[in-house]
Amino acid sequence: METATKMETEMARAAEAGGPRMRPFPRPAGRSAALGIASLWLLAAGPDAGPGPASAASPDRAITVASWGGPYEHSQVKAYFEPFTKATGIRIDVERYDGGLEELRQQVNGGGLTWDLMDMTMADNRAACRQGLLEPIDHSLLHPAPDGTPAAGDFVDGALTECGVAQIVYAMVAAYHRDAFPGERPARIRDLFDIHRFPGTRALQRGPEANLEWALRSYGVPRQDLYQLLSTERGLRLAFERLDRIRDHVIWWTSAGEPGEMLVSGEAVIVSEYNGRLFDLAAVQGHPIEIIWDGQVYELGSWGIPRGTRRLDDVLAFIRFATGTRPLADQAKYIAYGPARRSSMKLVSTHAETGVDMRPHLPTNPANFRTAILKDTEWYASLYDRIKARFDLWLTR
Amino acid sequence: MRWGLNTASRIVSIAVLGMVTGGLASLAAIGFVDLVLLLNEWLLISPRSRFMQQDAGLLLIATVCVPAAGGLIVGIAHRYIPERRPHGPPDVIGAVQGLDGRIPLRSGFLSALTSLVSLGAGASVGQYGPLTHLGATLGSLAARLSRHAERNATVWVGCGVAAAISTAFNAPIAGIVFAHEVILRHYSLRAFAPITVAATSGHVIANVVFERPPLFRVEAVTVGSAPEFLGFILIGIAGAFVAVLYMRAILFSGRIARRLPVADYLKPALAGAVLGLAAIGMPDILGIGKEALRFAVIEHAFAPGELAFLVIAKILATALCIGFGFAGGVFSPALLTGILFGALAGSGAELLLGDLRSDIAIYSICGMVAVASAVIGAPLTTILIVFELTRNYDLATAAMVSVVFSNLVSYRIFGRSLFDVQLRMRGFDLSAGRDRVILGRRLIERYVSQEFTTLAPDTPLGEAKSRLLAARRHEGYVLGAGGIYLGSVKLAEILASEEENGPASGVPVSRLAKRGEPLLTPKTSVWAAMERMEDFVGESIPVIEEGDDGRPCDGGRLLGVVFEAAIVNAYLDAMNDIRREEHAGA
Repeated sequence: METATKMETEMARAAEAGGPRMRPFPRPAGRSAALGIASLWLLAAGPDAGPGPASAASPDRAITVASWGGPYEHSQVKAYFEPFTKATGIRIDVERYDGGLEELRQQVNGGGLTWDLMDMTMADNRAACRQGLLEPIDHSLLHPAPDGTPAAGDFVDGALTECGVAQIVYAMVAAYHRDAFPGERPARIRDLFDIHRFPGTRALQRGPEANLEWALRSYGVPRQDLYQLLSTERGLRLAFERLDRIRDHVIWWTSAGEPGEMLVSGEAVIVSEYNGRLFDLAAVQGHPIEIIWDGQVYELGSWGIPRGTRRLDDVLAFIRFATGTRPLADQAKYIAYGPARRSSMKLVSTHAETGVDMRPHLPTNPANFRTAILKDTEWYASLYDRIKARFDLWLTR
Repeated sequence: MRWGLNTASRIVSIAVLGMVTGGLASLAAIGFVDLVLLLNEWLLISPRSRFMQQDAGLLLIATVCVPAAGGLIVGIAHRYIPERRPHGPPDVIGAVQGLDGRIPLRSGFLSALTSLVSLGAGASVGQYGPLTHLGATLGSLAARLSRHAERNATVWVGCGVAAAISTAFNAPIAGIVFAHEVILRHYSLRAFAPITVAATSGHVIANVVFERPPLFRVEAVTVGSAPEFLGFILIGIAGAFVAVLYMRAILFSGRIARRLPVADYLKPALAGAVLGLAAIGMPDILGIGKEALRFAVIEHAFAPGELAFLVIAKILATALCIGFGFAGGVFSPALLTGILFGALAGSGAELLLGDLRSDIAIYSICGMVAVASAVIGAPLTTILIVFELTRNYDLATAAMVSVVFSNLVSYRIFGRSLFDVQLRMRGFDLSAGRDRVILGRRLIERYVSQEFTTLAPDTPLGEAKSRLLAARRHEGYVLGAGGIYLGSVKLAEILASEEENGPASGVPVSRLAKRGEPLLTPKTSVWAAMERMEDFVGESIPVIEEGDDGRPCDGGRLLGVVFEAAIVNAYLDAMNDIRREEHAGA
């Protein structure tokens, strides 16, 4: 995994060195390429370039983006949907998407493609790419960092895949209620399994994700080797043995949001949860909740282009715009997910509504990121059913 | 002023060359290690890729066919190396101890390639040997390209080695010490300075540019009770026996392979197929086995029976692969064998001490370094690797005890290292002194002189006498048509013959000519010439064309002669060169 992503990064770097920066996507030649360059030029001209040449040129140009709704979609609207429309005149229509590949497969294979762009998990993106449902993306179209670092070096590891460009980093973390630990507080992920030093009920997701990684990590296995070791009978056995230690003290949750409520109500003292929701509880609502960033299992949210879209050039122009250093930094004003660019991290400021400084709350903040575990989405993509069955079996034993 | 400039330019050139060599070797090492990982992932060797493969039939076929096919490629590629075998650390040690420091490029890069294929295809061989050799090859290349460094080629070889090891283990001090302890075998400031620069460059590249996890990491463990040190001594002694078993198995397997009536290029493929068949039952023996290395420091990850079984299985698998011609090192499998042995010893200690016993990791690591250090003959390096990777005094101290006792024992019953024994089998006995190795590699052709008197076979004795007298020589060489050597004739014998038979000027010189002993060829080493000269009385030794068997051939041409004085000078030169290298300042 580690090496695979490294190689992708290298390849992207090589591709970048190979061609001129503004080279459009290589496949569409002629007219569409010219259009692509035109739209990029419009971007460069910016919003103040005359009395709206963009909207004049294309009164009803629009792209349809499939995204997740809620506060997350709100952050996208504010950070780059609205600014993009303002800059280019291209409208963004949003349709609701809840993960998975079913609908994408129907649209691509059955005709009637309505989505031009999707915001998807990296695991889905990889799987869809392998099944030929997505357009490959030439990473050389991405903006370099403001200091000139090429995009491949600016994005976090694993962000650039064959059919994807990641924009945000979100993490599953452990968190505890401060009042439950007046003395020594848990600080390392292995403390989750130490029922003697840190007694109390845990709330963990009813599934293998993060639980197995944390269990094996608690033996001191380097995070880069976790999935190799979890791929052996011995590694799985050790992980489940570590979970055995706490299983009598665990409530298993199934939907995100529950663990936060349990933490607030005192039903559980240590929980696993997505970091964005915990930020809301702690920083916005003011509950005494602390995140254990050690061993955060992070994942990337990624753009993917359904194969055969007629608005490829506009979509590529949008991706180029929306994955720039500034828009990614702006998104973190609205939600506690980390920008996938290192250069954006330096520009992150305060929460738009509460004025809380966002940097300490992002998974990609260097202090939080040092011991982060990159979720092996390929591994989960091909093994989820088997591992889940194994987990369920363990749960019933 | 001039002196200052000279010194400055010298220091700058040492630093630059050290950095360039170190950087090159380090990048090569990173590329090598990453490629091996990538190949293991693609070829269904790594546990992750095997686990993710849903098709059980395909997995089964790959398990047998990948090592076999890898073996075939390796076997065929080795036909293009003059010695028909992969090069490794012993060749580097030989070249450096023999003072020429020239690593042949073709053999060097071909060996790196076949090691890559071997490791990628899951052969049970190590990666640090190939990295050492690759670093040495790059160092030798740098020395050849740089006018300045040609004279100190051995130092640049050391730089390449130090950088490769420093990168691979992410342990710069261990890299420096390894180059001195195993390769150079002496300390001089002239070598130490650039080697340190090179190792540091490697470390910077490995640590800062490409971050990678250490080979093993043990979190804050301490030795609980003093009597446990007795245990570490015992682990050292027992570890020596494991190491000797491991090395003997490798040598023995090589002997079996040589006797096997199978074409040489098919032997690695055969070993690969056998390995693959065994791996169906126990995939742990495939490849470097990093996972087992991680598990062995975890309490109760293995049952004692499993550990004993795996120690034996890993020794057999490694002996099979290396003996039958896969390319690769002996260090990584020794680390694995040792760490499993150490964990086994730890399980034993648990029976005796119960909860009083320290963390299993200490025992595992003591076993690991005990076995591995004895195999490569590098006690200091292995202690430093432990210290640099764990930064834990308790652990390093315990490891030190095991290492020392293991090396003492294995030196007695086997030798300094597997490398030294392999070199001795090739005729370079390092324990006999470095002069012998150097003279064993210097060829007599450098000392051949054309100053001799030739006589046709039908030259009358009288004429022969006067020609030898005129040239002030004691010996003449009788050559037939085309310069073919027929024999030597001594002035004293001509005189004796005249004394007995009276002046018989009509007798041809061929009557008295004797094929002298010893005879040399241009490829005879100075050392061999010295040995053959022991009973020789005379002025010069004839050097004859070499036959197919490497010996002076009958009916070969006379190429020249070697004077006794030249050989004495060659010996003195070698002593001088050694002194200059070993005591050089910056």
